[in-house]
Amino acid sequence: MRVAFEGREHDLAAGESVLECLERHGEQVASMCRAGVCQCCLLRAESGEIPGIAQQGLKESWRAQGLFMPCVCRPTGDLQVVRTDAIPVFHARILDVLALSPRVMRVRLSTPDFFRFSGGQFIQLVRPQDGLMRSYSIASLPGEEQLEMHVAMQPEGKMSQWLAASPGAAVEVRGPLGECSYVEGEPERPLLLAGTGTGLSPLYAVLRSALLAGHTGPIHLFHAAAEPRELYLWQQLGALAAGRSNVRIAASVPGGEWTEPGISALPLPDQLLATDLPMKAARAYLCGNPDFVRSTRKRLYLQGMPLGRIHADPFVPPAANGTMG
Amino acid sequence: MPQANLFERIGGAAAVDAAVDIFYRKVLTDDRISHFFDTVDMERQRTKQKAFLTMAFGGAGSYSGKDMRAGHAHLKLTEEHFDAVMENLGATLQELQVPGELIAEAAAIAASVKNDVLNR
Repeated sequence: MRVAFEGREHDLAAGESVLECLERHGEQVASMCRAGVCQCCLLRAESGEIPGIAQQGLKESWRAQGLFMPCVCRPTGDLQVVRTDAIPVFHARILDVLALSPRVMRVRLSTPDFFRFSGGQFIQLVRPQDGLMRSYSIASLPGEEQLEMHVAMQPEGKMSQWLAASPGAAVEVRGPLGECSYVEGEPERPLLLAGTGTGLSPLYAVLRSALLAGHTGPIHLFHAAAEPRELYLWQQLGALAAGRSNVRIAASVPGGEWTEPGISALPLPDQLLATDLPMKAARAYLCGNPDFVRSTRKRLYLQGMPLGRIHADPFVPPAANGTMG
Repeated sequence: MPQANLFERIGGAAAVDAAVDIFYRKVLTDDRISHFFDTVDMERQRTKQKAFLTMAFGGAGSYSGKDMRAGHAHLKLTEEHFDAVMENLGATLQELQVPGELIAEAAAIAASVKNDVLNR
């Protein structure tokens, strides 16, 4: 089998992905998660057959145009592929950086003109000097002055360390991407929002969108922190829930004797099992740890929730052999 | 009076829509076969279940014997796996209160691809 990339033909080895094939032949294709999630390596097929898995999670119009993710594309025949500029690129500036907890910082960007998004979608943030790229969810809402992201501080993290030290710097914003946003027109639908770590950031946007839209159905938000210093926004969430009988918040934080109502050491999956939300009628947003997202999606589906009402946003870390850091 | 074909009698595309989630949930929780169906891409797996049910219901499916072989050869399936799928199909249709004679017709169509699926 052969892959033609911008006119150059390359042999595809058995079991090899299109991305691996192109890299082996010296082609430069940016990549990050290499797991068919972040959409950083997106290419467009001009001819040939694309396996379904290489288009999962892409919007319908993109599938129709032949866009696909070469990192998980193992074709069954010849392909002709080219680069794509389907993801719009905007220019922004880092306005400020604030620690929300010892592990999580809030990074706010200027909102580029004509950047249209829904809170909870994600962007690819690019450091212009060298193309270093990471995906972040948008925690703010359209109409708010700044574009807000929640970034987990990684001791060795190239992007998080640079962001922390770079207020005022110029960045590129590519997107928006993803479907993790509030759905208008069903104000009574029960909503389950569950996330681990900074998976809280899209949930924060979905929750605030729902309240802004006057959502009357029950909204249960669950946040799991791997350790106490990863817990953040707890006061802000409490303020949003206060005085609203339909909003309930809970956090799962292992280690420590918790006396504060809502916080317990009980693992998140167990807390979800105990909730009285009618799952068959509900809509769910699951964000953060990929194993948590996948296992919870399956469990909710088996409990009767249709797949179309489960918004899954796994945060897949950069692959060791990704080209973006 | 000419008799309508099975697909029409069983309820057409609406019957497939009603059956697909019941069926997919059954196979996902059947220890004998769940590992074949438990993938990251649940949407795509669900679409495959729809195609299978459409075929079993006598609808204009796009399955050919060659596709069946190619699609299943790498799984090294056994009689037990095939029987499990047949049982889940039957249980799904019973749950939907499909009359017994229509279930038998659907089961016969599904059984007709057995040799292709088991690669014999």
